[in-house]
Amino acid sequence: MDTAVKLIFDLLAFTSVMVLIVLGLGVIASMMGIFNFAHGEFVLLGAYTLFLFQENGLPSWMGILAAPIVVALVGLLLERTVIRRFYSAPIIAMLGTFAIGLVIREVVRGLLGGHYKSISEPLEGMFTVAGLSFSVWRSVIIVITLLVIAGSWALLSRTRLGLQVRGALENPGLARACGISTTRLYALTFAFGSALAGLAGALIVPLYQLSADIGTRFLVQAFLSVMLGGVGTFEGPVLGAAAVGGMASGLPWVVLPVLADPLVFVIALAIVKFRPQGFISQGRT
Amino acid sequence: MSGVVMAGVAGPGRPRRLLPVVEIVVLVAMVAAPFVLSGRPELVTLATNILILSILAISFELCWGYSGIMTFGQALFFGVPAYVIALVGRDLEFSHIWGTLPLAMAVGLLLSSLFAAFLLLGRKTPTPIFIALGTLTGSYAAERLVSGWQYVGAGNGLSSIKLLQAGEYEFVEGTAFFFLAFGCLAAVYIGCRFLTRSQFGLVLAGIRQNEERLAFFGYRVQLYKAIVFSLAGMIAGLAGALYSYHQGFIGPGNMGPGLSTMAVIYCLFGGAGTLIGPVIGTTAIEALSYVLADIDLVKRFWPVILGLVLLLVVAFQPSGLLGLVVSARERIGSYRWRPRGGNPTGG
Repeated sequence: MDTAVKLIFDLLAFTSVMVLIVLGLGVIASMMGIFNFAHGEFVLLGAYTLFLFQENGLPSWMGILAAPIVVALVGLLLERTVIRRFYSAPIIAMLGTFAIGLVIREVVRGLLGGHYKSISEPLEGMFTVAGLSFSVWRSVIIVITLLVIAGSWALLSRTRLGLQVRGALENPGLARACGISTTRLYALTFAFGSALAGLAGALIVPLYQLSADIGTRFLVQAFLSVMLGGVGTFEGPVLGAAAVGGMASGLPWVVLPVLADPLVFVIALAIVKFRPQGFISQGRT
Repeated sequence: MSGVVMAGVAGPGRPRRLLPVVEIVVLVAMVAAPFVLSGRPELVTLATNILILSILAISFELCWGYSGIMTFGQALFFGVPAYVIALVGRDLEFSHIWGTLPLAMAVGLLLSSLFAAFLLLGRKTPTPIFIALGTLTGSYAAERLVSGWQYVGAGNGLSSIKLLQAGEYEFVEGTAFFFLAFGCLAAVYIGCRFLTRSQFGLVLAGIRQNEERLAFFGYRVQLYKAIVFSLAGMIAGLAGALYSYHQGFIGPGNMGPGLSTMAVIYCLFGGAGTLIGPVIGTTAIEALSYVLADIDLVKRFWPVILGLVLLLVVAFQPSGLLGLVVSARERIGSYRWRPRGGNPTGG
């Protein structure tokens, strides 16, 4: 029974983090039409921020609060200086963000000195409800993710800013004609997406080991999720992330762990291949 | 290289053509290299390495520069054939040049055709992002699989690969291997040049300019792309085989996103859209890397510098190093510049 609970919790926690990453990636992709190949490295940056805080003896919760802010600022800076040049050319944007990701990854690798670092869980231990024990940290991840999703949804559907965002998404030209500064919205969107990635990185890294290469794995999985779910919707990427996250954490229990990762990719790619419009075909695009 | 023939074509009133000049300079430099460097064997090894990686860069160039396929996984078609060659050498003790090089090319071709069929062909036109992601994923997954597979040496890779043989002669690092690599590069270069200047290449140029219009003309655009992608895989396979024989080692990193990224950087830095650009880019980057490796700080952050270079090139100088010398008009194509009354230069 305990194993089953642990499995389900692992699955849920990992899926939650995937949802955070994918939400950021999907927001940027549907708003500006560019696929951010540096997104995995934003996750890495978030993880690295937490690592720095722990390394310097600061409390972990501060690191987790700081991670999204730091990464949002980095994202904002990059958007203002480099990435906005690429909006008109999505394929060039792929190359450009890929290069940015490469720079971030290699800087972190240089700073880490090529070692693997383990990061302790900020809240360790288990708690017991009705005779079943749950990992505290995994529960925190799940709760935070649910809060963030609820918050983003409320922001998009209930506030003035959300209305502007939806307007700019629907028809950027018309939005601009109505006096909405899409430039500002794009910058905000990019910073928001980066912040989500940073938060995800800080939340998940205690369950993994920190190395410069974790970004690539998350990038590939997140991309597959966005494509599975379909671009331009809010629910699509979340569903896609749930599917990919579920497969990625569930398959290692079924097949050899070495085979699990590639198998996830193959299955996801095959689904995308035969259903390129995603799960939700009547999306808001 | 075959530009020697074309150099004389530029008559009065026609813009001066620099590309053939660049090609001749590179050709002369390559032939002279082993003689100039003969006193320093490690530099001959470096030069051979550059030639081999240039072949990989050209294979990426065929995909990206000539048919707009963004592949982040070109190293997959480099690494897998290299592993096959290494295994053939280890388990079958066979490394004759007439067998293994074609075998590597066949493996590369087969693998890339499978990828092309999956990623490019089908009822629905795939988005560029799907192709980029599919190739990246393939390369990443292959690296992961190979690093966990004991039969192929897992994370340590395969070392002391059986030397390449021609009859009784065994190729070791040095001038002979340099000229073997040079011959392969020249053959690949001339073949690609012929391909891109042919009617087939004209269709590719059309696809690059306006894919939709070509599709309306009735060309099966995706099929053309798939063919180019497969051929590029074959060329990468040749490079991979040469690489594993030359280094005597092949590891999982040689098929992962890392080397794939290098192929992108070589090509874009040198100048995408020409065949000589990737060769120049490879030479420049590998030579710089060798020279700067002595400085500790540079060595540690060399990949960062490469990333910044790629970013700068993408953002500010999309035509790369070559773009500083050769005009856009000349790079984009010369299908219209036919000598009046003469034979069309391309075909």
